Amino acid sequence: MSLLGLSALGGLLGLDGTSVGQFMVSRPLVAGTVTGWLMGEPLLGATIGAVLELYLLVSFPTGGSRFPEGATATVVAVGSAATTGGPGSLAVAVAVGLVWGHVGGFSITGLRRLNASLVPSEDDPTPSASAVAWLHVGTLALDFLRGAVVVAGGLIFGRALVGALAPIWPLDAPASMGLVLVGAAVSLGILLRDFGGFRTNRVRLVIGIALGLAGARLL
Amino acid sequence: MSARISRAALASTFARSFLIQASWNYRTMVGTGFGFAMIPGIRSLFRGREAEMEAAVGRHLEHFNAHPYLASIALGASLRLEADEAGPETVRRFKTAVRGPLGGLGDALVWATWLPVVSMAAVALYWLGVPGWLAAALFLVLYNTGHLALRLWGFRTGLEAGRKVAGRLAAAGFSAWTMRLRSWGVVVLGVLLGSLLGGGGGLGDAGALWTGLAIVGFTVGLRVGHHVWRPAAVVAVATIALLATWGMLR
Repeated sequence: MSLLGLSALGGLLGLDGTSVGQFMVSRPLVAGTVTGWLMGEPLLGATIGAVLELYLLVSFPTGGSRFPEGATATVVAVGSAATTGGPGSLAVAVAVGLVWGHVGGFSITGLRRLNASLVPSEDDPTPSASAVAWLHVGTLALDFLRGAVVVAGGLIFGRALVGALAPIWPLDAPASMGLVLVGAAVSLGILLRDFGGFRTNRVRLVIGIALGLAGARLL
Repeated sequence: MSARISRAALASTFARSFLIQASWNYRTMVGTGFGFAMIPGIRSLFRGREAEMEAAVGRHLEHFNAHPYLASIALGASLRLEADEAGPETVRRFKTAVRGPLGGLGDALVWATWLPVVSMAAVALYWLGVPGWLAAALFLVLYNTGHLALRLWGFRTGLEAGRKVAGRLAAAGFSAWTMRLRSWGVVVLGVLLGSLLGGGGGLGDAGALWTGLAIVGFTVGLRVGHHVWRPAAVVAVATIALLATWGMLR
C-alpha cells in the first residue's frame, strides 16, 4: 500500500481517537490488524497491534491530558515493518510505534491549541447555527489532516530505520518478542494495581492464570 | 416534555453527540461540540423565533467538559431544560454542576475499566491462537455493545429526568458497576498473563531470561503504578536501540 494510502488510513483511524465516535477502531489491535491486512501481512499487523495494545492499556484519553496516540503509531509501526520482514523488524517497529505515539500525542495538543483560537470566545458575537456547524466540520477535517501528516512523517522515518536496523538485528524471533513483552508486562502490573492490587485479587488472578495456561495448552 | 422536540431532531442530536469532541480545545473543551450537537433540538424548539434560537445556541457553546459517552446525559437533560423553558441561568448552573461527575464517572467506568478489560480479553484470545481479525472483531462488537448502550441510556435518561438526572445517576450505581467489572477484569488479566506465558510465540517460547525480566517488569508496574509507565516505554525503546547498535558493531 502506498504512503499516501497509509496516511489516509492513519488520518481516518486517528479521527476515532477523539473526534468521531470513539468506537475504538483506533486501538492498536484493530489498527494493526487492518493495516497488516491491507499490506498483505495480516499476522505481522495483528502481532504488532497486540503488543502495542498491551503497552497502551493504561494510557487513557482523560480530559486535557496528553496521551500517546495509538492509531497513527500502529499504522506507522506496521507500515514500517511490513516492507522489511525478519525478527528485527518487529522489535524496531514496536520502538518506532512507541516513539511515534508520543509524536501523535504532541500533534493532538497542537491541534487543540489551534482549535482554541478558532472557536468563538465569550466576547465574540454569537455565531449562527450554520457557522457553528461549519466550524465543527472544519476542525474534523483538520484532525484528519493532522493524523495523515503524522503517519506520512512516521512512515518516512520508520521505514528508513527499520530498513537499516532490521537486517543487523542480533536477536532471534522468540527473544525479540520476549524483549518487547518485558515492557508490556509493566502495563499489566499497573493495571493490576488500578484494579485493587495483588493481595485483594490474588485468588482471581491465580484462577485467571490457570485458565490462560490451560487455554494455551488446549488451543 | 419532549413532545415539542420532533423525533427527527432528537435522533439528529443523538447522532451529533458522536462528534461532540471534534473541536476539542483548551478554552471551551467540548463546549463548541456541545453547541453543535444541540442545534437540531434547539431548531425544533425555537422554530420561527430566530433571535431566541441564536441565543440558545450561544449559551451552549460555553465551556463544558465530560466523558464523551456520558455527555449524552447532559445533552438530553439540557434539551429537556430548554423544552421546559427553565431559563438560561438554570441551564448554565445545571451544566456546571454535572460536568465534573460525568467526567469522573465516565473516566473510571469506561476508560479505566471497560476499555482495558475488553482489550485484555481480545489480546488474550489472540495469544491463545484466535486469528487477529476475529480477536479485533470480537473486541469491537463487545466494547461497542457497552458503549452504545451507555450512550443511548444516557440520552434517554437525560431527556426523561432533566435537572433531576443526579438521582438517576446515583441509582444507576456506576461505582458498583466499576468495582464489579474490575473484579472480573483481574480474572481476564490472569488469563492474559497465562496466555502470554503458555501461548505460542509469547514468553514461553522466549525462554527463562525474558520470562524472568517480564515478571520483574510486572512487579515494578504493580508496586509503582502509573509513574513508571513512561520510563518503562523509554527503557524498552533504549534497549532496542542499544541492541541494534550492538548488531551494527558486531
